[in-house]
Amino acid sequence: MADHDHDTHAHGHEAALEPEAPEAHATRRAVLQAAIGMGAGAAVLSTLYVGAGLIPKKEITPDREPIAQGDVLVYSQGPKRGQPINPAELKPGAEMIVAYPMNPESQVVKGAELKNTLLVMKLDPGTLDAETAKLAAEGVVVYSGVCKHLGCVVSNWVADKQLMLCPCHGALYDPKESGKALIVAPKPLGQFPIKLENNRIVIAGEPTRPIGVEAATDDGIRRV
Amino acid sequence: MYQWLDERLDLSRLNTKFLRKAFPVHHSFFLGEITLFAFVVLVLTGIFLTLNYEPSTRPVKIEGYNDPVPAAYASILYIDSLPFGAVLRSLHHWSAHIMIAAAFLHMLRIHLTGAYKKPRELNWLIGIVLLVLAIVTAFTGYALPFDNYALTATGIGYHIGEAAPWLGKAMSAILFAGELEASNTKTIPRLFSIHVLWLPLLLLAMIGAHLLLMVKQKHTQPKYAEKVAPGRILGVPAMPQQAVMMGVLFLVYVAVTTFIAGAFLAHPVEAFGPPTPNTPSVKPDWYFMWIYGILQILPQWDLKILGANFGPQFVGGILVPTLIILGAMAIPFLEPQKEKQRYLELPSQHPRRTSFVLAMLMFYIMATLAGYKIDFLNANPNLSSGTLIAILWVLLIVAPILTYIISYILMKAAYRSREVEIEFTGRASAADD
Repeated sequence: MADHDHDTHAHGHEAALEPEAPEAHATRRAVLQAAIGMGAGAAVLSTLYVGAGLIPKKEITPDREPIAQGDVLVYSQGPKRGQPINPAELKPGAEMIVAYPMNPESQVVKGAELKNTLLVMKLDPGTLDAETAKLAAEGVVVYSGVCKHLGCVVSNWVADKQLMLCPCHGALYDPKESGKALIVAPKPLGQFPIKLENNRIVIAGEPTRPIGVEAATDDGIRRV
Repeated sequence: MYQWLDERLDLSRLNTKFLRKAFPVHHSFFLGEITLFAFVVLVLTGIFLTLNYEPSTRPVKIEGYNDPVPAAYASILYIDSLPFGAVLRSLHHWSAHIMIAAAFLHMLRIHLTGAYKKPRELNWLIGIVLLVLAIVTAFTGYALPFDNYALTATGIGYHIGEAAPWLGKAMSAILFAGELEASNTKTIPRLFSIHVLWLPLLLLAMIGAHLLLMVKQKHTQPKYAEKVAPGRILGVPAMPQQAVMMGVLFLVYVAVTTFIAGAFLAHPVEAFGPPTPNTPSVKPDWYFMWIYGILQILPQWDLKILGANFGPQFVGGILVPTLIILGAMAIPFLEPQKEKQRYLELPSQHPRRTSFVLAMLMFYIMATLAGYKIDFLNANPNLSSGTLIAILWVLLIVAPILTYIISYILMKAAYRSREVEIEFTGRASAADD
């Protein structure tokens, strides 16, 4: 090692102290600098690696399973929390219910996952456009409840305009036209196809859009 | 006793070197101190809160609620039930507002008087970092009461963070320990650790650096010091005069804010209730309102580059604030000067800079105004959203420009007449000092 020579010089074991060659000095400095640089790089990389461990693993428990075909819609809150919604009890055009899907076999309500929040309302079937009506059953329509803008639950019903309102930033969606976004939100809410069985509302397939926040817009936005 | 300590700690040297150090006095210099007092009160009340707060979402049965509520929520109710508990929690809340407001005003004072110039560029940068850190710390405290309002408000921040290109998802997941939702049990411990440990430590370190640099570089002085004692520091010694003033001001600060905290209880968690699927209508605090306003009026276009989305959430929530922060950081480097700045400049003698500050304030006010878009729409059902957005855009762009022009013209006119006055009387009026 280069350092060894230097040490022996310092202790004066050798008779003649040869002046150090400047090239050797430069090489040693380069080696040390490279070592420091690599050390710093390795430290940063390993810190990032440790830091990545701060992102927790997503645990899938029965109450966090995604919405599936056959799920039964239940009340998410209020006195009937956890009970299946009876479509016959819905008041047409007057209310919107925030619902969760329930696994019909295990009876587990999948309410722990925010993305599973659903909106249920009964509308006059004559007011629905063709595409919306195709997925509805007797005027009952079901939409994903997660706002496309910044992920709040679109929990308010504007009865006089028959629109769904997100209280966070005022995004409005039209349940009569496939959940079309009217203001603020970039994309329409996804509509779920449903069927009615034994006074229950049952999910009958995939939503028309992916669930959750979407940044992009590719369809025209109508301003009201 | 003093001699014993002096022989060991060299107290007399400390006394002559630091404690007798002269501090210039001016009422506007107390803004930084008020920021510091707010931080001290935040730490003290924060310690009280941590002793009684439970950073967990485990369900607990408590009186008055049919269903179990999260333990964090229950512990806030418990804190409120303690003697002066609600007052101390309010004091924590209002002091956070005061710290941010005082830091902002302190920064305006520095900017308007040119105190950011050489050699104090570094302290200007540290100051901006401190302001941003204070705001981030306040934000990480939002969710801790874990009521419906807190969770919704924090959720908006979470999704804005997520909208950052490429790194957004990972960054949000690290800050909130996964997705932010009522059922995520990891979020509260994570935010708790960040809010009460890491960010306060960072703030403490930065405040220390800020003060050390201030002492080392010496405070700027009011202009009259140049006439009275050119080249020397005109002020009162740190010990005892300055210390007594600070002590009195601190006590006044505590008295006034405690009165406010007692009279206006902050964030009534009981009224908001534990998290439910219903979204309460949330409005951000004043220091986020301008970002919220910009988000309200941005068009819904977006750009895809290398698999990342550059949507309106990114532009309004991240890009615009980042550009403003970077712009503020650049200020001392845009007008470099050779000689060191020792004396304050009068805002009236720098009409361009002063007008710029007023224009930025107008921008802030107009962006805040845009945050009330929904309320305007609700109040005027005939107003179409498109028209309102257009009006708000015009206000946001035109009002600051007009502010700049008008204040520049007024200041030029006023200053010219003052110059004449100086010529005429041979001296400036005392009010300008």
